[in-house]
Amino acid sequence: MLGGFLAWAVQFTVIYGVTSTVCARGWADTTVLGAGIVPFTVAGTTLVAAVAAAAFLVHALRKHRRLQSADASVTDVFLIQGAVLISAFSIAAILWHGLPALILPACS
Amino acid sequence: MDLKSTRPRPSRALDPLLACTRWLALVSGVPVLAGCSGIQSALDPAGNDAYEIYLLTIVMTVGGTLIFVGVTALLLYAIFSRPEQRAWLGTRRTIVYGGLAFPIVTLTFLLPYGLTVMRDTDVPTADALQIEVIGEQFWWRVRYPAEQGQPEVTTANEVALPIGRRVTVTVTAADVIHSFWIPNLAGKIDMIPGRVNRFSFTVERPGVYRGVCAEFCGDQHALMAFDVLAMEDAEFSAWRAAQAAPAREPVTPFLERGRELFRSGGCGNCHAIRGTEANGQFGPDLTHVGSRRTIGAGQFPNNIGTLGGWIANTQHLKPGVRMPSYGMLTGEDLRAIAGYLESLK
Repeated sequence: MLGGFLAWAVQFTVIYGVTSTVCARGWADTTVLGAGIVPFTVAGTTLVAAVAAAAFLVHALRKHRRLQSADASVTDVFLIQGAVLISAFSIAAILWHGLPALILPACS
Repeated sequence: MDLKSTRPRPSRALDPLLACTRWLALVSGVPVLAGCSGIQSALDPAGNDAYEIYLLTIVMTVGGTLIFVGVTALLLYAIFSRPEQRAWLGTRRTIVYGGLAFPIVTLTFLLPYGLTVMRDTDVPTADALQIEVIGEQFWWRVRYPAEQGQPEVTTANEVALPIGRRVTVTVTAADVIHSFWIPNLAGKIDMIPGRVNRFSFTVERPGVYRGVCAEFCGDQHALMAFDVLAMEDAEFSAWRAAQAAPAREPVTPFLERGRELFRSGGCGNCHAIRGTEANGQFGPDLTHVGSRRTIGAGQFPNNIGTLGGWIANTQHLKPGVRMPSYGMLTGEDLRAIAGYLESLK
């Protein structure tokens, strides 16, 4: 149920940790595969986290469909609907979170 | 220098958009804000950077107001309508589209818009005019580094800017945290001891504006302002040349006496007057103090009376400033010192 939130939390920790370390150490001009280290890390982490949250969403939707055809309890249906909602919201939050590093200059 | 208040001359390029956004503000219920203008108003932008910030403010305010009114109307409808009428509010479709999809779509548009404004309103250029400002309790030390054959200029509590040229302001603080803000021209920027921050903007409308400290910095935070003089390029060059010159010599015995009192009183230990032996760095540079519009960091008009009053009783006019009151001076001595300072155009 909390898979989406966990993906978001990991992305949050990685991009804040890397950005603050890079800026504090003065490594902003370092490049990885031709891109700045901050945008590269943020874009990569965002992509991985968004794919993970999307996988949680697909899994939750499949389970929700199975529960509808079975004789499921109200609690189970509620929990899986919550998982769908959390996973969908987490995808949006992860994308919003990664956007600033792609628009604003690093360490400005 | 012939500079008047700014309001009646908005930039022609900005006119139609300003009019549109003001009408939007009016119809969306923020007429009070739409009516604000003048020398210290973020709602009266005098350059494209300030205009971008102003437009963002209007979009956020109008959008937020419309959404607030809509949600409140739905809430009242849900409370007061009959159950069969309000049943649609509880359907899954309403919740998914209205409660989830709408906020996500709205924020997905607003977030990049806000970020783009942040990026586009602070773009330094290689030929930008460099200005250094240091926040002190409770005044502003302003320095124009030497450039292109132009000598360095040091002044205080007044910032002169050429219109149409990019300006990069480098800020820091000497004592506590301050914040540098000229609402008509750009956003705020923090002044932090030991840290250097920079921001850039362009002024496009000549006139007099007012900057303020936007971060609480002590007792007299509310009385820490400065004048901003935006002028044509030629006028700015003349201003800069005049400011770089040494102080004028006294032309009358009365002013000569004022200078002698300034010297013998030890004022030069804290204040500099270039061209004299006064070279203190603790307080504002007074080489051309008579040319400034105001004294006390934007608090009082600059004339012999206010200068005399300031010297005699700083702790009454602005309690907590570092300069002590010199109430022991006789009236005649005060007039002589104030007259001398006022003559330093």
